[in-house]
Amino acid sequence: MKGKISEMMPIERNPDEYAVKRMISAYGIPTPKSVLVDSGEREMELEFPVVVKVSDPKILHKSEVGGVTIGIRDQKQLAEEVSQMKARFPGSGILVEEMENGGLEIIAGLVNDRNFGNVIMLGMGGIYTELYHDVVFRLTPISRTDAEDMIDSVKIRVFEKGFRGIRVEREAIIDLLLKLSLISEDIGSDLDMLDLNPVIVNGDQISAVDAKLILKELA
Amino acid sequence: MLDDLFSPASIAIIGASRDENKIGNVILRNLVSSGFPGRIYPVNPSYPEIMDLKCYPSVKDIGDPTTIAVIVLPARVVPQTVEDCISAGVKFLIIISGGFAETGPEGKKLSDRILSLIRNSRTRLIGPNTVGLYLPYSNINTTLTSYSRVSFPPPGNIGFISQSGALGLLTMDAISEYGIGISAFINLGNRLDVDETEFLDFFESDSRTGSVAIYMESVADGRAFYERIRRFNSRKPLVILKAGRTAQSAVAASLHTGAMASNDSIFDGMLSQAGSVRAYDETELVDYARVLAYSKLMTGNRIAVLTTAGGVGVISTDYISDSRGIKPLQMARLSENTKDQIRKVIVPYGSAENPIDLTADGSVSDYDRVLEILMRDDDVDAILVYALPQTPKMDMGVVDVVEKHMKAGKPIVVGVLGYKIAKQLLVEFERRKIPAYPSVNRSVKSLGALYGYSAFRRVRQ
Repeated sequence: MKGKISEMMPIERNPDEYAVKRMISAYGIPTPKSVLVDSGEREMELEFPVVVKVSDPKILHKSEVGGVTIGIRDQKQLAEEVSQMKARFPGSGILVEEMENGGLEIIAGLVNDRNFGNVIMLGMGGIYTELYHDVVFRLTPISRTDAEDMIDSVKIRVFEKGFRGIRVEREAIIDLLLKLSLISEDIGSDLDMLDLNPVIVNGDQISAVDAKLILKELA
Repeated sequence: MLDDLFSPASIAIIGASRDENKIGNVILRNLVSSGFPGRIYPVNPSYPEIMDLKCYPSVKDIGDPTTIAVIVLPARVVPQTVEDCISAGVKFLIIISGGFAETGPEGKKLSDRILSLIRNSRTRLIGPNTVGLYLPYSNINTTLTSYSRVSFPPPGNIGFISQSGALGLLTMDAISEYGIGISAFINLGNRLDVDETEFLDFFESDSRTGSVAIYMESVADGRAFYERIRRFNSRKPLVILKAGRTAQSAVAASLHTGAMASNDSIFDGMLSQAGSVRAYDETELVDYARVLAYSKLMTGNRIAVLTTAGGVGVISTDYISDSRGIKPLQMARLSENTKDQIRKVIVPYGSAENPIDLTADGSVSDYDRVLEILMRDDDVDAILVYALPQTPKMDMGVVDVVEKHMKAGKPIVVGVLGYKIAKQLLVEFERRKIPAYPSVNRSVKSLGALYGYSAFRRVRQ
């Protein structure tokens, strides 16, 4: 990779979801196919079902304020939902995304620790993440061995052999972690936190369904 | 850098006292009792001599270059004493006194004053607020607890650094009971100048130190500490007992990753990444440091268990099969050939399956033969041997047998249950540097620690 993508594609200090996803996909982390409403990119074809989300850096926890509607099946429903979302969040961006089929929900993230610098996290994702606390940290940059150890430290490893019809390939998660580690190095100490939660993994397919980035306030 | 600290020509005790209740008396007595072969200079203007040693009014009056000065004076007079020591050319100061940064702004001022003196000199400082050092190979004991209260361990292979003085002293007392030795005990106190990393440099090149055990509560520069211990672990094993596991992150976090980034979860990940085995109490700290100091590395995780008591074998199997973490152990599957050979040694009602049970009929010479067989089985990576003294056929000779096989072949950890004869067995195993533990759980966990470290080394070589 030539140069830092974060420099080539400068992101504002408080990027919205759409901007964060563009940044991570530039690093090769897959995200759902999506369209930002009223951005002139409408010609892109999305397949139903889709999700409508508010994309606004001020709204970190979208679902708690009615900022996410899932399972939209047709054009009519979509038009209604978009206009309702616009009414609920005047001035905010609206994102339409293809819905991911079921898979394992994991969380991956970065945080800048005062004592250890940037660290990377991997764990079981979804709504119970903070209840089960099945997460593991490493300092970035990480090696391939570190990535393997991270997977072995959390329950994600169980899904390699398959569990209740869900199976994940280790290589996809190693790849995700190594790319995230690269992002951590590129952003450096400007980073405050980055959350990819959930990332949906299905076999060797991976998709960061939600992405949030907070950079440090410049003093 | 610290070499002179470990082989000083002379030691001054500034604040030495005749009063047996004073720390300045205990330290002087400890230093004399430890058999320090160099010159000892008590310093106190009130006495002409203490304990038949000529006493000097000030460090400047000694008139002989002093390698180490131990300072046991009230905090407020310490800066002046430090200045005197620097002008007298003292190489190392060990400030036992408390009352510095740990007590508030006044103490902090004294502390800052000392630091600026040290920074502008060639003198190095350990402390303040330390219980002292115990360096058995150099016959140096500058700790503030008397031999009537605690025992001090013999010279050995574990470097021991403790942020808590009391925990360090009591742990040394506990391990002395089994003759477990250390290469040095260091309590850094407030770490104003010398910190862990410099002692790690020393221990890394010290041929007598096989492993290092650290008890710590905090680390000043986490990133630098990580880099240092990772390099250390690629040469020698470092076990860390980190307290404060339940303390939560001080930062309020708006994202999940931040919310789950407690200080301990990051510290824990950092330790794994750096190849350090983590201990959760003072017993594990020394248990793991011993197995890592005495054993070869394991090439895999498959354990054969050898016992004369079925129950002990079954409990071991439970612990081994249930071991968790990134690098779990497993019970070895013995080859048919191995089992056939074992059957020729044991009684018909014994078990040639793993765990191998020789029953109460198992003798020391049977152990010798079975160990020989297990050493040749490529599907066995390490052996857990039980030396159980309840039967007359298991005598002290088992130590020789285990020693012979451990030297020649794969790693062996020994479990010894009971007390009456078991205690003697444990002491004898320890004397031969064979890792032996008085419980099933501790034996299996120590094997786990050895495997975890071995796996780190295998990848990083």
